[in-house]
Amino acid sequence: MSGPRDITFTLNGRPAAATVKPGETLVDVLTNQFDLTGARESCAQGLCGCCTVLVDGDAVSGCLYMAWFADGAEINTIEGLADGNTLHPIQEAFLEAGAFQCGFCTPGFILMTKKLLEAHPDPDDDVIRHFLVGNLCRCAAYPEIVAAVKLAARRLRDAG
Amino acid sequence: MTVDDPAHNISQSIPRLEGRQKVTGRAEYVHHLRLPGMLYGKIFRSTVPHGRILSVDVSEAAAVPGVFRVVTIDDIREVLPDPYYGPAFHDQPVLADGKVRFAGEPVAVVLAKDPRVAAQAVALITAEYDELPSVDNEVEAMTSDIHVHDELKPAASFPDLNHLKGQSGTNVALGYKLRHGDVEAGFAAADHIFEHTLTTQPVMHTPMEPFVSVADVRDDHMTLHTASQGPSFVRIEIARLLGWPENRVRVKVPFLGGGFGGKLYIKLEALVTALSLLVRQPVKIALSMEEQFFMVTRHPCTFNIKSGVTKDGKIIARACEVIWNGGAYADIGPRVTQKAGFTAAGPYDIDNVSIDSYAVYTNRPPAGALRGFGAPQIAWAYECHTDMIAREMGIDQVDFRRKNLLRNGRPQASGTLIRDAALDAVLDRAAERLGWSLPFDPGGGRIKRGRGLAVAIKGITAPTTSVAIVNLYGDGSCGLYIGTVDMGQGSDTVMAQIAAEVLNLDASKIRVMHTDTDVTPYDMGTLGSRSTFHMGTAVRLAAEEARDKIEALRVELDEPAGSNIPLSELLRRKYGMQAGNIIGTGSFIPEYEKPDPDTGQSRAATPFWGVGAAGAEVEVDTETGQFEVTRLISVVDVGTAINPKLVEAQISGAAIMQLGFTTTEEMLFQDGQLLNGSLADYKIPNMLDVPRDFRNEFVESRQQDGPFGAKGAGEISTMALSPAVGNAVADAIGTYLLDMPITPEAVYRALHPADGDA
Amino acid sequence: MKNFDLEEPESLAEALALLDEDDSAVRPIGGGTALMLMMKAQFFEPTRLVSLRKVGGALGGIDLSEDGSSLRVGAGTTFTQLQQSPLVQKHLPVIGRVMKTLANVRVRNVATVGGNLAHGDPHLDLPPVWMALDAAVDVVGPSGERRLAVADLFQGYYETSLADGEVITALYAPLVEDRRAAYAKVTTRASHDWPALGVAVSLVPDGDVIADIRIVLGAALDMPTRLTAAENVLRGQPAGDDLLATAGETAAEEVDIESDHRGSAGYKNHLLKIYLGRVVRELMGR
Repeated sequence: MSGPRDITFTLNGRPAAATVKPGETLVDVLTNQFDLTGARESCAQGLCGCCTVLVDGDAVSGCLYMAWFADGAEINTIEGLADGNTLHPIQEAFLEAGAFQCGFCTPGFILMTKKLLEAHPDPDDDVIRHFLVGNLCRCAAYPEIVAAVKLAARRLRDAG
Repeated sequence: MTVDDPAHNISQSIPRLEGRQKVTGRAEYVHHLRLPGMLYGKIFRSTVPHGRILSVDVSEAAAVPGVFRVVTIDDIREVLPDPYYGPAFHDQPVLADGKVRFAGEPVAVVLAKDPRVAAQAVALITAEYDELPSVDNEVEAMTSDIHVHDELKPAASFPDLNHLKGQSGTNVALGYKLRHGDVEAGFAAADHIFEHTLTTQPVMHTPMEPFVSVADVRDDHMTLHTASQGPSFVRIEIARLLGWPENRVRVKVPFLGGGFGGKLYIKLEALVTALSLLVRQPVKIALSMEEQFFMVTRHPCTFNIKSGVTKDGKIIARACEVIWNGGAYADIGPRVTQKAGFTAAGPYDIDNVSIDSYAVYTNRPPAGALRGFGAPQIAWAYECHTDMIAREMGIDQVDFRRKNLLRNGRPQASGTLIRDAALDAVLDRAAERLGWSLPFDPGGGRIKRGRGLAVAIKGITAPTTSVAIVNLYGDGSCGLYIGTVDMGQGSDTVMAQIAAEVLNLDASKIRVMHTDTDVTPYDMGTLGSRSTFHMGTAVRLAAEEARDKIEALRVELDEPAGSNIPLSELLRRKYGMQAGNIIGTGSFIPEYEKPDPDTGQSRAATPFWGVGAAGAEVEVDTETGQFEVTRLISVVDVGTAINPKLVEAQISGAAIMQLGFTTTEEMLFQDGQLLNGSLADYKIPNMLDVPRDFRNEFVESRQQDGPFGAKGAGEISTMALSPAVGNAVADAIGTYLLDMPITPEAVYRALHPADGDA
Repeated sequence: MKNFDLEEPESLAEALALLDEDDSAVRPIGGGTALMLMMKAQFFEPTRLVSLRKVGGALGGIDLSEDGSSLRVGAGTTFTQLQQSPLVQKHLPVIGRVMKTLANVRVRNVATVGGNLAHGDPHLDLPPVWMALDAAVDVVGPSGERRLAVADLFQGYYETSLADGEVITALYAPLVEDRRAAYAKVTTRASHDWPALGVAVSLVPDGDVIADIRIVLGAALDMPTRLTAAENVLRGQPAGDDLLATAGETAAEEVDIESDHRGSAGYKNHLLKIYLGRVVRELMGR
């Protein structure tokens, strides 16, 4: 049997099921079957980070991640980050620091920042730059993004 | 809000109106649009740069289960009898028509419900070509016997191009001339003559949201959902192609995932329109990042520049010849040729100037506008040239520039007066931030350091029109109807601030409608740093008209002048319930005089002057040529900063982008074939590429006729940056590099010219 | 993408049984980054993929051998696991330094040590480093198990000596007392880019003398290549400037670097000379 197969997973905390064709990517499944638009394919080569998705807590490039591998996994996307109408502190920090222009790369940067701050609660410029080097922003809001990461780090540390 | 509480919306860094949508991933882009019954189109592209099409075999592709239809130009002609489009020339076929003119040109389209099926089928299409010799380089194309087009086809929309109609046997799409004074006499009177040839390379916009358009034809009307910076132009051009009135074509644009000048004029819109018309279903074409490299690029150019200078350092003559490589289709190249051409002598007060600027066809992907309409390319040449003159004459580079700078009230080479242009201020600020008057450590041993600066000017596309509607609803809330597309620059926010200031409202409460040509009025396009000035003025006028109508209503209802009864209450009284609207409209076209075709002279060639300066410091590893831009300062004259944070972000973003164009980005071709068309091989700046010391500042000259003194700024910091970096590298290594991009290998070779192969 | 099957066996034996020695359209898949790229571009159209990610123990783990003479890295180890392993940090600190500029966090989260080697891509950073460390791999397939040096794995441009049906199960890096290693990733356009060349060096110093040395050139040739002539110039000698210059000349002469869009042959030869000297000087503490 080499056609579509059914998978089940947890999507932003809720059970989810999908029928996935061979080679279909995670970002395609999230977009086409769940109408989630936050992860989006841009470079299609895992280089730009616009398609960032968290799989079992790890950031992956959704455009290169075979959706079949999501079977049984815990998937989190930008859509699950805010608590209802209350934005996550990282989202708030991006807003306040003006850390985006066109917004197309923004969800990827925010999810990567989440992972960055889990690993490095008080990152310096060098840590931030190296962690986020695989996310591209053609509007080049990079200085503002660095500021947003630091602002979010401070808020999250203060919140304990 | 009450009228007692005057609004303070100007010079305030109000957060972007759409910010929440963007940080939650919910902002709307055409990228995500799906319509019921929609088909996806995937493009089969030419593999040769120039050739006659002998045959296209689509039979295998058409037989793939799930393929709806495969389309070539013959099919397109069923619905578009004359399937050629373009803003300046009607030279671009919707799909290749008998001939291909660049490797990567669309030849056929597969339509399928599943885009994966369409992509699979595209791989099964084959085409045979009778290959023709191709011409790649702009200088060769000027005189080559190889002609990209058999006949020139200027669009009727530009009357100044009409004389070219039917011309054949040339690749020169347009020649632009400017004559000011007597340049030969100037050279004769000069004590020193300097002459250089500089070049720039092909680069690409690479918006993160690749080009995407959806057409939905229903009976006698159609809707286009498209990632476009110029929806009004799209409607006009699509209506022309269809032979329909404008009111049967609707163009809708949500947010754009970046544009930078690429998503202007017609791109995929003509193709999806034809396809939807053929199959009577919605059709979407979304390019991949790789395919974007075949859509539109920034013009490379070759610039011969010659200056005559007196022994005390006054430039008295400058001759410029600029040749622009427009690729296979003119796109907006002729405008780039003219608009950049007319400031090709730079921001200097020179009595004798001649400029010749040529748009030429070659067998490369088409070139168009990219953040500067050619201004960054010419600034690279004239500011490196100017620096070389100063260095060679032993004059301080800042002093030399100051001595020659254009000042307010003086005529620029076109005859248009310089006004509200802070050339001195931006140069002085850049020099000050760079510590120009302080001693500088040039390094030693392996690492050498250098610093450089540059100042540049540009004219703004003219004449262009913007129209705005302000609509106040029954409860007093406000909607703003404009055709300016927010592609990240923050126009929604800035336009809301302008309307709010006039109407005494809170800008963050204004709703800005996204362009829908059925609803929003005409705008020439979101391009060329024009929106804040043009649309901003239209919005101001519309808001003023609405304010006047509210005042009139107050009078009508016998309210004393200055009464603070809110609008909602006024409307309620007038209509007896929550009802009615106050509608203000504003329309703006700046003064313009068409330049004389023989001399380029005009009293009003540009609505305002774009003015910027940059300073850079570099460290060069002299063993390898590898270098780092350690410090980068951009200073832009913004007139008035309506939203300081947003305008600073524009200066910063444009500077980083131009840093990519200066050092890492280059579309490489071999035998007409693109070698590096993906983000793996075409390197746009990432976070590590931002200089550690990176500053972006503005000066406020107050543009007298701009909205609250503002002028455009979105692309101004792209101009002076490359020559500032180039001049800094030259300062470090003692040799000027004449060709962009500045690469480690080029620096190494300049340092070790005798090194032969190595 | 054409239809294909995905198998996710839970043991190595099962995985091997599902692979097919006669069919190159049947491939094992680790993290899948490289394979997905090739599949999306229609360069590779599998009939069956055999995922190794559920095989577990046989392909996992990072362990020190009992005598402490080598480190075993399971082929299924992701780069992130490699980077975070205390054993790797302690015994092979060079790996952590390489990781800092290797691809990006997301790729490192899924890319595996085995998949990276089996891909045979000459531009990768890690294979030349493993070669400089004299690492070997265990390979299992229809004809049994074999161990071969990483150096012998590479046969050409995207070509390896792995037969269809074979799987890399583990990598062994010998641990040598006093050995130091470094890798220079030399980029010529953007700072974050594929390297124009990579210079991996491991050496054992004896005072000022280079007691032993291995030099591997990556990215500039169709596969990572050991520069034995240059090694011979340096081995047993004090690392003086003249000798390093000679070694650089020798290195450039023993390989035939071609021009590409990351640099001309002449320039890359020059970079090889310069960076070989720099890496050796750094390792010798000069």
